[in-house]
Amino acid sequence: MKDQLEALRLEIERDVKAAKSLEELEQIEVKYLGRKGQLTSMLKGLADVTAEERPILGALANQIKQTGLDLLASKRESLASSRYDAVAETERVDVTEPGIRPPEGHLHLMTHTIREITSIFEKIGFYRPRYPEIDWDWYAFEALNMPPDHPARDDWETFFMDAPISKKGKMVMTPHTSNGQIHELQRHEFPVRMIDIGKSYRRQIDATHTPMFHQFEGLYVDQGVNLTHLRGILDYFAEQFFGKGRISRIRPHHFRFTEPSFEVDISCGVCGGTGLIPPRSPLIKGGVEGGSKCKVCKRGWLEIGGAGMVHPNVLKACGVDPKKYSGFAFGWGVERVAMMKEGAKIDDIRILYQNDVRFLKQF
Amino acid sequence: MNLLVSYDWLKEYVSLKEKPEEFAARISLSGPAVEKILPLHSGLDGIVVGKVLKLAPHPQADKLKLVTVDIGRSSKLEARSSGLKLVCGGTNLYVGQKVAVALVGAMVRWHGQGDLIELQAAEIRGVKSEGMICAASEIGLGEAFPHEEKEILDLGQEIPEMDVEPGTPLSDALGGKDDVAMDIEVTSNRPDCMGMVGMAREASAILKRPFRWKEPKLVISKSKASKPGIKVTIDAKKACSRYIGVRIDGVKVKKSPWWLKRRLMSAGIRPINNLVDITNYVMLETGQPMHVFDAAKLKGPEIRVRFARVNEKMQALDGKTYQLDDKVLVIADAERPVAIAGIMGGEQTGADEKTANIVLEAATFDPVIVRKGSRRLYLQSDSQLRFEKGLSQMAPPSAMARAIEMVLELAGGKVMGEPADVMPLTYKPLSYSVTMDEVNGLIGVEVKKTEMVDVLKRLGFGVKATGKHIKATVPWWRDHDIEMGRDLVEEIARVIGYAKIPSVVPIAVAPRETDQVIQWEDRLKDITKAAGYTEVFSWSFVSEDMLRKASYDPTHLLHVQNPLSSDWLVMRPSLLPGMLQAVADNQEREKDLHLFECSNVYIKRSSKLEARSSVDKNRDSRFSEAEIRDSIWTDLPDEVPEFALMIREADNHEPWRKAKGFVEHLFEEYGITDVHWKRISRDAVWHPGRTAQAFKDDKPLAMVGEIGPQMSEAFKIKGRVGAAMVNIREFMSFAKISKTYVPPMPYPEAKRDLALVVDRDVDYREMELAILRADERILKVEWFDTYEGKGIADNKKSVAMHLTIGSREKTLESSEVDGVLEDAILACKEKFKAEVRG
Repeated sequence: MKDQLEALRLEIERDVKAAKSLEELEQIEVKYLGRKGQLTSMLKGLADVTAEERPILGALANQIKQTGLDLLASKRESLASSRYDAVAETERVDVTEPGIRPPEGHLHLMTHTIREITSIFEKIGFYRPRYPEIDWDWYAFEALNMPPDHPARDDWETFFMDAPISKKGKMVMTPHTSNGQIHELQRHEFPVRMIDIGKSYRRQIDATHTPMFHQFEGLYVDQGVNLTHLRGILDYFAEQFFGKGRISRIRPHHFRFTEPSFEVDISCGVCGGTGLIPPRSPLIKGGVEGGSKCKVCKRGWLEIGGAGMVHPNVLKACGVDPKKYSGFAFGWGVERVAMMKEGAKIDDIRILYQNDVRFLKQF
Repeated sequence: MNLLVSYDWLKEYVSLKEKPEEFAARISLSGPAVEKILPLHSGLDGIVVGKVLKLAPHPQADKLKLVTVDIGRSSKLEARSSGLKLVCGGTNLYVGQKVAVALVGAMVRWHGQGDLIELQAAEIRGVKSEGMICAASEIGLGEAFPHEEKEILDLGQEIPEMDVEPGTPLSDALGGKDDVAMDIEVTSNRPDCMGMVGMAREASAILKRPFRWKEPKLVISKSKASKPGIKVTIDAKKACSRYIGVRIDGVKVKKSPWWLKRRLMSAGIRPINNLVDITNYVMLETGQPMHVFDAAKLKGPEIRVRFARVNEKMQALDGKTYQLDDKVLVIADAERPVAIAGIMGGEQTGADEKTANIVLEAATFDPVIVRKGSRRLYLQSDSQLRFEKGLSQMAPPSAMARAIEMVLELAGGKVMGEPADVMPLTYKPLSYSVTMDEVNGLIGVEVKKTEMVDVLKRLGFGVKATGKHIKATVPWWRDHDIEMGRDLVEEIARVIGYAKIPSVVPIAVAPRETDQVIQWEDRLKDITKAAGYTEVFSWSFVSEDMLRKASYDPTHLLHVQNPLSSDWLVMRPSLLPGMLQAVADNQEREKDLHLFECSNVYIKRSSKLEARSSVDKNRDSRFSEAEIRDSIWTDLPDEVPEFALMIREADNHEPWRKAKGFVEHLFEEYGITDVHWKRISRDAVWHPGRTAQAFKDDKPLAMVGEIGPQMSEAFKIKGRVGAAMVNIREFMSFAKISKTYVPPMPYPEAKRDLALVVDRDVDYREMELAILRADERILKVEWFDTYEGKGIADNKKSVAMHLTIGSREKTLESSEVDGVLEDAILACKEKFKAEVRG
């Protein structure tokens, strides 16, 4: 029986050595060492040997089992590592082929811009209300201190609806989001800190105007609001929206619903507010002496839109005491600020509303 | 309105030491904005004054001459006492003539046409020419010195006062060599700055420089013996607050002197003759428009300011004849209109070469009447652009005095009688008060009282300061602009300079939340983008044609009264037409289109008709079409937020499945359960066999399905279009952001597949519900295939599903699972006569 056991050991050694896969090793283990394997069946024959031989043969059988398991383990290890060598070749793919992408959707440039503006103002405590795009003359003009004969109230500049005139005047397509100021102030909840963003309409179409466009209207009214706060907001927005180092300035302008009124400029990002492009190379014609004029801006500044301190007549029209409350307002074009952003490179606003997927999918 | 201001000219009225750039930077921050600075004499480099020494015939060409020109010794060219030899075809050449000579390298425009080109030495018909004698139009002076073709610029004749040596650069000889024109934006409230004097006054106040303008006085004798030189009557007293007419006889009409032409041209105005040029000059100087009539052509002669009569006509100075009506204010003589008041004079009564006696006009017209008249007639002018901003009735006298002075100097003549000055209403200066606290409270920094008073005085206000109160009398040139004490704050703040005001960011916690609709629109946009859809923005207004194509009757929809074009005429009642157009427009560009829009549509709101979005359009039978059509838009439209998406895929014949799947995904994401899907079979837009509507508690949440074939055809869309629309208001009333956790089943669940053969018109959803109700241990039913055709009887279909079966109490034995499955089959047999597919 001892010889049989030794023969079995040799068989196991031989088979393990010849095995070429993990599956084969598995079969070898079952065949020789498993519950119904050859070693087990051989051990059943121990009952027939003498009492002296029994412990010796038992120990030998255990030794053979252990040897077998060790051989299997080391063979498994070597097979496993050589299998990894093989996959590099057998499972090779062309990794320069494209991947499978998730569905790729796109938001409109206006949505992106509106969200950016919203989040900039939400950070400092402004909320976004929702006010009508089609409104009565009273909200769009009258309460905004625009006299009945103001040019904006001509049907030359503003769209009117084919609807009967009401007590609040004609039905108009708001040419600005400033009607939101009136609705907001009429709530008489202070402080007012709104950033109202919506569609507006004007009778104009060219490379920088579309008859439908978007405006964002800021309004901050409370006790003690003054010009320093407006300047603060403008500088804050310039840096947040256009980038570090960009600043704002205000110049006198004229709007009926603010007094004083301003035109707001943002420093040019291309020339750094100097209005001049520095000379790049002495080889470029005209590039040696002080560089050339910046083509992006007007003398270092880009006009962004109007702003001003809310006119006392506007507050009065909304039943707010101008002696107690003051504030500022601004209303700018979303399209305009989007196009002003460096790198936007959109030279004709009309592309925004042509719904051409070749445009839409770039955002 | 933008104004071109010559810096040299401006300096006649205010002492300025600043360089143009410095001036522009400072003035823009406190007053009118300088947008551009343009050199006035660009392009005259290399052009010098020459004197013709000798003329000889060209040996090869009859029409050309060999010219010897003295260009002095200062020229960069090799100085030659013998002069420069040129070939020239000028018809008006003579010996001794002073001409403009372009040297080699100068930029010229051949015959006044095409691009500027660099002059080269050339051989003309075998003779060398080392330069060119220029015509005015070849060097950009055509407007100043109009000429016949082939005539060269005769400097001695055009500018007799020019006294320079040959060889002098032409730009030096013309004067104003270093002058620049500033392109300045003047806001509509500041017509006082639409003239040199007003601009100079601003500069003087802002830069603290001496103001040099002395206002000329119009003297009118009060003696009874003196009579006005022209009879003036104002009939339209509310439309004309002042009219001054002055008659001057014996004038001589001729070309204006060069200095006057130069001033006009620097402001972009073309010189005509001395009289017209004077009126333009006075307007540019004082901001007050003027007009000159030929007195001989005025019937009467008299002047009446009245509204035109219906059907009166007048030919204006632009050569066009205008049909007038009773809204248009005119200046008339005894018989007919001779000028459209404040806008343009009449051709028949204008001053021409033969004019000897004139009537000068300086008047004040109502700004609104001028503006509306200009719009009615589609006629604009420099005069109208000023009047429509609102000019003071105190402006005409000094402008008239200035004009008289210039006419007498440049055209001669004699003032006849007294100036006729008619002013229906007397003038009372305005005055307003403001307190120091108001000023400082609004600006946010302390400004000293003396500084406030000083600023106002420099701007021309009469100021009285007592204690904390400042009372200011408004100067006449600001009488349309300053309306209340608050306006004084602006004057003080801007002149002191906004740059001096510090910048403080008012940070706070938002006192209110952003509007819910906006928040939900944003969530919808995000989830839709993530699902691979591209957002479009269509016009809020669409054409009637597009609406009809989309089966909407535009007649009862809200129309724009004054549209820019019929493409933008009707407020859209639905996003569908615009989306269909977007699909049609893009179908050739990409084979697969996944588009969505989330925006407002405009629906009639009234007490009778509830606000309805197009999600449930056509399904509300409570009101007849006629009722809707006949109602007028007495109230603002309801701006209903709507969501729509469309899918068109080249290889997908069931895009509705993706549309519905998207909406299911939406409901799942926002916790909307127990949705009831109803088949829609009667609709103008949607496919009658492939459309369903989602209801929750009887509220319509969404429509999904396929666009009807007739609709695709109308929009010329190839292939099937799946679509989904969500009624955002209803949707958000059920949607939840917070989630509730349900523990997973504690014991393993069993999966079984089941295929049942049922009648073709049995709805899957009914089967699903029947199966779920058959046994509570059926946790989930998932459709995976429907088959019709070979092996299945006609009018039957095989529906295959995955069933998930399990219990919270224990692991089900295989036999128990089989029992549950049998229950499900039995339920379907009873309800739908279903058979298990063999």
